[in-house]
Amino acid sequence: MAESFPVKPKLKPTASKNTLSPESKYWKSFKVLKEIDAVSKSSVFAITSLSFSPVAPHDLAATQCTNVIRFPGKTLIPKSKIASFPDTSASASFRCDGQLLAAGDLRGGVHVFEAKPTSLSKLKDLRRLKGHAAAARLVRYPRASDKFHLFSGGDDSVVKYWDIAEEKCLFSLFGHKDYVRCGDASPVSDEMFVSGSYDHKIKLWDVRVSSVGSVMELNHEKPVESVIYLPSGGLIATAGGNFVKIWDVIGGGRLLYSMESHNKTVTALCMGKVVRGNGDDAEQNRILSVSLDGYMKVFDYSKFKITHSMKFPEPLMSVAFSPDCSTRVIGTAKGTMYIGRRKAKVGTEKNSLGDQFGFGAVVDEPQRKVLRPSHFRYFHRGQNQKPLEGDYLIKRQKKVKLAVYDKLLNKFRHKEALVAALNGKNPSNVVAVMEELVARKKLLKCVSNLDGVELGLLMGFLQKCSTMPRYAGLLTKLAKKVVEMRADDIRSSVEQRNHIRNLKRDVEEELRVQQSLLEVQGIISPMLRIAGKR
Amino acid sequence: MFTGGKSFVSSPPAFSNDAKRLLVCTGNTVSIFSTSTGLQTGELEGHGAKVTSVIVVPASTPASKVLCYCWTSSLDGNIKYWDFAAPELMKTIDIRFPIHSMVIPSLLSQTTESSGKIHDVFAYVSTEDVKLKADKTISVRGQIQKCNLTKSRLVGGLELAKIERPGSIIISPSGNQIGVYEKCKLLIWEIPAKDLDQHCFKKIRLHHTKSFTAMAFHPTERILAAGDVTGRILVWRGVGRKTFSNGKLINGGLNEDEDDSPGVRSGDDADSCTTWHWHSSQVNVLFFSSDGAYLYSGGREGVLVVWQLDTGKKKFLPRIGSPLLYYINSPDPTLSSISCTDNRIQLLRMPSMEIVRSISGIKLPSSRAEMYDAYGSGVVFNHTAGLIAVPTENYRVQFYSLFDDREVSEVQICERNHHPSDDITVKVNLVALSQDGSTMSTVETRLPEEGIGGLVSLKFWACDSQSKQFSLSTIIYEPHREAAISSIAFRPASHMVVSSSHGGDFKVWVRRQEIHPKDQNTGWTCHAVGSYKKKPLTAPITTLSFVGKSSYLVSASRGADPLLTMWSMSKLCTIWSYRLHAEAIASSMLNSTFAVLAPSKLLKSTGSTAGTSQGAEGAILLFNAENPVPFATWSVSKAQGGRLSFIQSSPFSDNDVADTTTAGELLAYVSGCHEYVVLSPHGDQDSKLSISRRRNSSSLDETERFGYASIYGELPEFTMEIDQTPFESMPQSEKTWKTIFSGPSHSLPPLPKLCSDFLESLLERRSTVVE
Repeated sequence: MAESFPVKPKLKPTASKNTLSPESKYWKSFKVLKEIDAVSKSSVFAITSLSFSPVAPHDLAATQCTNVIRFPGKTLIPKSKIASFPDTSASASFRCDGQLLAAGDLRGGVHVFEAKPTSLSKLKDLRRLKGHAAAARLVRYPRASDKFHLFSGGDDSVVKYWDIAEEKCLFSLFGHKDYVRCGDASPVSDEMFVSGSYDHKIKLWDVRVSSVGSVMELNHEKPVESVIYLPSGGLIATAGGNFVKIWDVIGGGRLLYSMESHNKTVTALCMGKVVRGNGDDAEQNRILSVSLDGYMKVFDYSKFKITHSMKFPEPLMSVAFSPDCSTRVIGTAKGTMYIGRRKAKVGTEKNSLGDQFGFGAVVDEPQRKVLRPSHFRYFHRGQNQKPLEGDYLIKRQKKVKLAVYDKLLNKFRHKEALVAALNGKNPSNVVAVMEELVARKKLLKCVSNLDGVELGLLMGFLQKCSTMPRYAGLLTKLAKKVVEMRADDIRSSVEQRNHIRNLKRDVEEELRVQQSLLEVQGIISPMLRIAGKR
Repeated sequence: MFTGGKSFVSSPPAFSNDAKRLLVCTGNTVSIFSTSTGLQTGELEGHGAKVTSVIVVPASTPASKVLCYCWTSSLDGNIKYWDFAAPELMKTIDIRFPIHSMVIPSLLSQTTESSGKIHDVFAYVSTEDVKLKADKTISVRGQIQKCNLTKSRLVGGLELAKIERPGSIIISPSGNQIGVYEKCKLLIWEIPAKDLDQHCFKKIRLHHTKSFTAMAFHPTERILAAGDVTGRILVWRGVGRKTFSNGKLINGGLNEDEDDSPGVRSGDDADSCTTWHWHSSQVNVLFFSSDGAYLYSGGREGVLVVWQLDTGKKKFLPRIGSPLLYYINSPDPTLSSISCTDNRIQLLRMPSMEIVRSISGIKLPSSRAEMYDAYGSGVVFNHTAGLIAVPTENYRVQFYSLFDDREVSEVQICERNHHPSDDITVKVNLVALSQDGSTMSTVETRLPEEGIGGLVSLKFWACDSQSKQFSLSTIIYEPHREAAISSIAFRPASHMVVSSSHGGDFKVWVRRQEIHPKDQNTGWTCHAVGSYKKKPLTAPITTLSFVGKSSYLVSASRGADPLLTMWSMSKLCTIWSYRLHAEAIASSMLNSTFAVLAPSKLLKSTGSTAGTSQGAEGAILLFNAENPVPFATWSVSKAQGGRLSFIQSSPFSDNDVADTTTAGELLAYVSGCHEYVVLSPHGDQDSKLSISRRRNSSSLDETERFGYASIYGELPEFTMEIDQTPFESMPQSEKTWKTIFSGPSHSLPPLPKLCSDFLESLLERRSTVVE
């Protein structure tokens, strides 16, 4: 006996790259939190820098306009601006214990203030380091353990090394010939740092041999926008122009790789981590790069491969990734911040809860009631029982699910089936039903039998879908036929005339599109022909 | 040489007395199938023409159920008597008229006789007067005759009726009435219980405005049902009360009211006539259930309808998938069979009407295929496995083994509900198989309705190496825009397909793994597009074929100026050509021979044989490429739409093929009605032995458990000294406890009947033990 087949729409081609790699899944799991997005959208100034505190709960500091804004690490709701400068702020940097924060301003001042200000010390600098003749766009604390020094770089092309306690410049480092806009402290040593400048050069400095000048000089061949040390301290990544370069510093400044997949200037780099399961290589380091073309790319420098890329609607200026791998923040040139946050594992959260309360909550097991035949569940008992190993399984026959139009088609009630499909709002199902009716040679009969309301339904559908390329082959011809067959009915009703007007407008629009596509084809085809001859 | 692919549904089948075997008329033979396995167990060979009816001699006592005797009649004018258990021919009666139908009423009424005296057995045969056949002017050619089977002769001078066309005779279950239908009237005769040579028959006629297509007699009462071409079922009650009542009145009749006979046309002898109309087209099947409470009907829709006779309420068995032809019930009331036009016999478990098993032959060509001849393709051969793929009417492709004469598998090409009575709007046009049989590609076409909604889709199917089932790999909608595909071909030994279209271009399709070996996707993708001067790729040349491994190409064209041409590819010139219409061409893979199927209508070009296109005779000509003189010819029937192919003789490495060097390839010919012949192209007599068909004689060892064992399982065996005599294999009761209670309660047999049946089976068992 033949089985019954429901009417199915035509298959659609599926993109072969549909399946996400696990890495893409990971990066997509950073979900944008809505409330933060809304608040940060109110301003229009570029987010010039972003920085996470190195200690938990990893507060975030962002410089925007003249302000430094602090986001508490737990909630990431912008609580307070913690500093206000006379000019545009830049380059916020946390001290290694997360207590102090330093930032520069475009007048050349470097400000040091408390990262978690009390009401007394609010908006007051602890220290103000003056010395740069032009905008100080680079301020960095050493990252390992030094709490008393920082270095800064300015548009006067000087890099200065400061003693914070005494507000004194220990020494100035000369060598750059253009604005110094970026730099980073070594993650393994308090004495080493690197600075990048618009003169295409990256210079490595060692404060122990400050008199010699730079220890090493690298040529990026484009104005350097961002420099970071990779976690080993032996490699650095530099961004400038629309490429990112990886250098081996220990190996004598050898260029390892140049990643050239951005289309516009790469503005910022930061380190990211991919956390996957538990194991030896559960955490893998990645370089996140953002660019003015709106792309964030994730680069695996162990394999020299882009593993993920993400498009944002605005030019991107800054990026930061929290050390606990839970948050990824991107600042744009228009003041929007995209804060993506991963959901923490449930298990870890529970642990922290227990720690907070200090005692394990004793949860009562709900008493299992004995089911009695008075309760309807009594008759369903045991249905969720899993089969045992040796059990002989009798599969229940799968029921063919029939839609309303399928049932009507089985009863040969063709017009009702068509109307039911039209009410269903899924255009591919409607087209499938129409195709089935064509195969039964009943479609035009159905059309001629439709009454006023149903005809309006059909006209609305035709207006909506007849210019969609997937259905156009059938629907344009059908629309023509419908208009021919039901001309009198259409003329007599205002509603139908509206449908016709809309349909006409859509068809004209489609014709225009086709026309312009033809023009494009006319432009391209000679080129393709030439390319093919070569 | 062997043949196969016979139609199973040319005539009604018959069940054996124990309902374990089904006798099916298959061409010149009668095939015996097991109802428990659905496999063929035997064959009765002996008739020289198509067998038209088979009648099993019913068992009069339960003990005689093991007897397996049957009568067969054939178009060669012979009636034969067989013991089909052996199988062995016991008697032949030659009446020298083609017999279209035969009934033997005395076999059915014999059971009531108490005396041991043996009467002569008479058969009523529907014959065709061959002498009149040549004369076209006389339209009345059929006649109903009586034949004395005991004395092996026709009863002279007795001709019941002359009818225009010899049709089938219908007999009532009690054996006392026979009837035929002809156009708008029914003819019914009463057969007396003690039949003699010369006996005057009483005859009545019933009339209707439409042509009849089926009729059936009620088993106990004077009720007659008949179906007509419009789908109406007419039920007459009290048929022939006046004419046939010989003093004794049939009980349970309606109140005699001379004036009031509703629905009965004037002059007809019946009490009342009611009409039921559910079928939308002609009724082919009418059958009363054995107790007379239900009427089964079926027709073109492929739905079996069960009417409750008293109330007219209906129950359905839908989606049989093909028009019904015959309904036969078996001596076992839980089993019956339906024959469908797609050459399939469905066995039903009865009160519940489930299809338990189906015996399927090769799918017959669609009756309306010639309407779409431009689109259709016939069967496709698999060279290596000896399989043919037959596109069927219900959007499937059937794989049929030539060597086993058995269906291998079926693939649903287009997932659409099939309504047998609809017009053909969706059709599987083209099927192509790769050389190793691992890939299939099909083209299906949806015909547009007034220019709207036509669709061509190309599908690629991959064969699972384990289960040998094809599964869909890729669908391509409108592969050549809106143009229809004219042909598809596989490249040998590579996953590459070329499709050519009426739109002027051809496309090369490859499996994606061929280009990107690492790609997990096994789908097919377009590799290249080409065209030749933007001309539609549908030249009058219909067939092109390279001849084996030689450098020759053979082409055939049709139309007004048919031509068969042999080209040399090395010289790019014609070597020889014939003005010959070639229906099909097959070229050998091993040497430079090829075979051409030429219908003789065009071969002779006499022009006299008009209007017999379907049954056209033809010839298979076997050529060598260099030589224009064919070195072998065979004449075949039904060449129109036939196909030819060379197939490997030993697809599964049979060890009985001795000389593989000469008989490496066989020529298979499938005729227009899907009967096939496989022959050795070189005609050596000695190689005839090597190509005998593999017969698998499956025995009837699948026994069903009954009684106690069916409920509680087998008892442990007792080892007592008295039981030394082994149990004889006794005939099993057809009623098992498992099946007695299946079905709705109202259709269960009454309890006293059940009880007696059960006790009877137990008693029988006891008696065999005592022996």
